[in-house]
Amino acid sequence: MSLLSSALREYIQDRSAVKVLATLDGNDAPYAVVSPFLQLDEQGHLVHLELLEKSVTNRNLLRSLWFDRKISVSVGSYVIKGSPVKAHISGPVFRRYYEQVRCVLDDADLSCVWLIEPEEVVDETYATRKQQEEEQFPFSVHLDRLTN
Amino acid sequence: MRLALAGKTAPTPIDEVVRRYPDVPRLLVIKTDVQRRGVFYSDAALALLDETQHQTTGTHIFGARDGLIALRPESLLLRDGSSIITTPTPLEENPYVVDAKDGVPWLFDDGIPLEAVDYWPAPDFYARTSSSGVPMKNIVSARPQRLNIFPYRYCTFWNNNKGCSFCDIVSQLKKGGKELNIPAKLDPREVGDVIGEALKEPGRFSSVFLTSGSIVSGQEAFDDEVDYYIQILHEVGRHFKAPKFPSQIIGTAFTKKQLQRLYDETGLMSYTSDIEVLNEELFNKLCPGKAEWIGYREWKKRLVDAVEVFGPGRVNTGLVAGIELAGPHGFSSEDEALERTLDEAEELARQGVSTVFIVWSPRPDTPLGDQKNASLDYYIRLARGLHALRVKYRLPIGFDDYRHCGNHPDSDLSRLLPY
Repeated sequence: MSLLSSALREYIQDRSAVKVLATLDGNDAPYAVVSPFLQLDEQGHLVHLELLEKSVTNRNLLRSLWFDRKISVSVGSYVIKGSPVKAHISGPVFRRYYEQVRCVLDDADLSCVWLIEPEEVVDETYATRKQQEEEQFPFSVHLDRLTN
Repeated sequence: MRLALAGKTAPTPIDEVVRRYPDVPRLLVIKTDVQRRGVFYSDAALALLDETQHQTTGTHIFGARDGLIALRPESLLLRDGSSIITTPTPLEENPYVVDAKDGVPWLFDDGIPLEAVDYWPAPDFYARTSSSGVPMKNIVSARPQRLNIFPYRYCTFWNNNKGCSFCDIVSQLKKGGKELNIPAKLDPREVGDVIGEALKEPGRFSSVFLTSGSIVSGQEAFDDEVDYYIQILHEVGRHFKAPKFPSQIIGTAFTKKQLQRLYDETGLMSYTSDIEVLNEELFNKLCPGKAEWIGYREWKKRLVDAVEVFGPGRVNTGLVAGIELAGPHGFSSEDEALERTLDEAEELARQGVSTVFIVWSPRPDTPLGDQKNASLDYYIRLARGLHALRVKYRLPIGFDDYRHCGNHPDSDLSRLLPY
């Protein structure tokens, strides 16, 4: 069964939704960028289309793949943690996404198609998290909220 | 024959090297060792090969380690997008095995599955035939992101038997010419036509590459080689709107006048001239033709001259790493070989010339064919050393990286650099 709920899958596939990809650089500093083409493939991978070979994100994704470091994708109120598992630079998969990018962005190029395996989904919706906090960490609550 | 051992996950010999060099990715260690030991394709792996989808062997200027011309995958792609350019090797030489696992090709070492791999995808133009009736792939071949042109599949250093000791270009020409209908010398116009056809495929290619055997003839030595490259590059250039296009040549070490002509009269953007080994005495012994016609010190001087013509970060030289340890004249230890090689590479890097290496594959039809290449540890240390020089001297290697060549473990490491 997919880690991603059908609602979340729909949200990811919504081109108008903002999706943010966060990676770590060589000094473990986080680096987050909007990933405008982020989508799901048929196998349930998150697909990040990296347009620039020498971008910080492209190099960070490679570092993650090489040295087994996690990345995360934020979609609406959800955070998806995962690992890049494959980089396509040639072949039918690459071509399909290359043509997709070229249809949307005038004279754009595509450097790499990154496949990211989702490993954990965190629901950061405020109402959900608030309820969890109040149930699990009752001593964090300000008392004025509890008075008659 | 033992191939896949289902479920076996014991440590492999590469694991120790991976532990020793935590700054080197495991995938790169695997790639380097596969280049070092070669591959053997099982019947199941060959059954996954589809000529309509994958590139098959036979188009390359050099031969295979098992000396055969047969239908096999041209090379492999790893999941980080890098290539393993390797040659089929007899099982008795202990190669890695490519076998089928879950319906896809995997690399195995001693029965242990290491990594899923992809066969290089075939470009669209491979299915077509040129105007003279030659399969287009025998005129222009492909790597995952590069168009390869081998204009002349003979090296005139062999005329007086002074070809390089590790090189089988001439024997491969004899085999390829007979068995594969590959022309020894390409018609520039036809090359241009095939390039035009190849460029119709969206997103497939990001560079044009030329290399041939040395041609000593001409008013000045090698003028004919330069003239021929210029003719070819003119035909390639007619397909591009800008005067310069991403391209690389591996040529002989040309004079500055010849280099200037190449730069001024064509769209060429980068230049490589392979010195093969960074030691004068070994160069003279292993590359007697290059020594006779140009000489070691002049070869290096011409590389530095090329930086003035093409610019820093656009010139490099290649090593056939491992030959410096081969035979009775090689360095006596890997430590010494590494130190002496990196010392000379640094002298070049200081002057703007990058050095890359390929892992030497001893091929049967060569004088060094019965020798062994170096240890995996040596190749990893060499890759780290050459990469460190590029960091120290801030030398970009984008024209000869994993996308455009894929044959240099050291330039794979440079993928993480911002330049």
